[in-house]
Amino acid sequence: MYNDIIIENFSDPQHVGDLESADIELEVGNSVCGDRIRVQILLDDNKISNALFRAWGCATSVATANIFCDSLLNQSLDSVCQRDVEYKQQMLGELSPSQHHCMDILNELHQLLSEQRVAEDVANG
Amino acid sequence: MINECFEQLEKLGLDPVKVALSSVSELYAMPDSQLLAFKTELILQAYRFHYENNAFYRASCDQKGVTPNSVSTPEDLLKLPLIPISLFKSNDSHKLLSVNLKDIELEMRSTGTSGIPSVSRRCSDTVDNAILGIYSMYREFLKISKGAGLYLCPSTEEIPEMGMIKALNMLAGLLDTHQFMVKNESLVVEDALSQLDEWKNKFDRHIIGPPFLINRFIRYLKATNTRIKLDKGSFIITLGGWKRFSGEMLSREEFNQECMEYLGVEPSQIRDIYALVESNVVAIDDEHGVKHVSPFIHFSIRNPKKLDEEVADGEVGQLAILDPLARSTPGFILTEDLVRLLPEQSPSGRSGQRMQYIMRLPESTEFGCCAVNLDKRLDDVEAEQNCPVVA
Repeated sequence: MYNDIIIENFSDPQHVGDLESADIELEVGNSVCGDRIRVQILLDDNKISNALFRAWGCATSVATANIFCDSLLNQSLDSVCQRDVEYKQQMLGELSPSQHHCMDILNELHQLLSEQRVAEDVANG
Repeated sequence: MINECFEQLEKLGLDPVKVALSSVSELYAMPDSQLLAFKTELILQAYRFHYENNAFYRASCDQKGVTPNSVSTPEDLLKLPLIPISLFKSNDSHKLLSVNLKDIELEMRSTGTSGIPSVSRRCSDTVDNAILGIYSMYREFLKISKGAGLYLCPSTEEIPEMGMIKALNMLAGLLDTHQFMVKNESLVVEDALSQLDEWKNKFDRHIIGPPFLINRFIRYLKATNTRIKLDKGSFIITLGGWKRFSGEMLSREEFNQECMEYLGVEPSQIRDIYALVESNVVAIDDEHGVKHVSPFIHFSIRNPKKLDEEVADGEVGQLAILDPLARSTPGFILTEDLVRLLPEQSPSGRSGQRMQYIMRLPESTEFGCCAVNLDKRLDDVEAEQNCPVVA
């Protein structure tokens, strides 16, 4: 049911935690019964220097949060926001139908990050 | 004698847990002391398995000085370290696994008012045990093998991982037909009524769902002064909390009265089920309205202020569940529920433990299961529909 990427990232997540102050905060979730993920991101000279998460939900969603945070480190916001569908699919590996909602979660996290970047661009003129 | 019995079963290549799961009536016919000895052996076998296979649990046991060598009698069950329910909601719930994640077959969840899901993970062996245990309890107390089920809840297709719905949906396999009446977060009571009418004189019609939603159905019947006469073989089957999102408590007595008045059933046809997604226990009302704990699972009722002490039978305390069916995570759980064990003899003649649910712990951070959120969502949708203000 679980591929090796999901097993490794769920069983030994490296990016769980809270930042005292974050430059960007992303939150995805279903208020009724679904998974919840909160990601905090720290920027340093337009590159992501740290990303931590808290996640509540199925094993694949917890793993997704860890994979997402890991993929952000030392990347520019521009490069993260330009990731294509194929790249994002490879991040999670092959998923069974019951895990596929985590692909939506990963897409939503990228989407929210893009929106934040646009908002920051507007704020910075 | 029990030890010899277990040795004989194992010599024959039989799993004592599976034997117990298919012998519910026989277990309930045992004298209490014998049943407790039998359960104790099942629980201690499970304890040894988790101690050997779960580093996190073993470290907790070692820290408390409890090892497989230090537990052997029913009195020792009190020593087994308990997993608080909150750990099933934590970020690092992977540490609860006694098997590798790749052996996990099914994830189930429940979400209370906090919105944080409690996720329980079951391996193939645990799924086998859970399914056998639930079906054998359904057969013992409901004896259902036919009829039509009006489900006043969403389908497992809409929310596939929700433990409560999954357990209720298992009943559908015993029926001839069924319909889920909550679709896209909406319950159209008129549709439910016409479905019942369509099944009239063809099937025993059962109404199944969380108490709130059945109560919502009855409120409509009351408001429209509609009375239904269900069938002699019908059941009203409830599973889920009795406290609404607003904090309002549904009264079981009032609920029963209204079922009798508006659905035309006798009290013996109204059956409530107590279950928790983190455990494999189902406690089901018998025909006298007395809830029986699955005979292979042990309830230990603790003093909430001193959790290493049990309260006397009949007194209210915090429920600890010792569940030998759980193989993927330790089934020794400290719940946030206040219950009491009923000391009186069962009028049904069954031995074992009987329980009464009282309430969630007052200091619990949340109450209810997913049904509570569902009830709120239906309220919100209704309020949106009735709001005269243009959005």
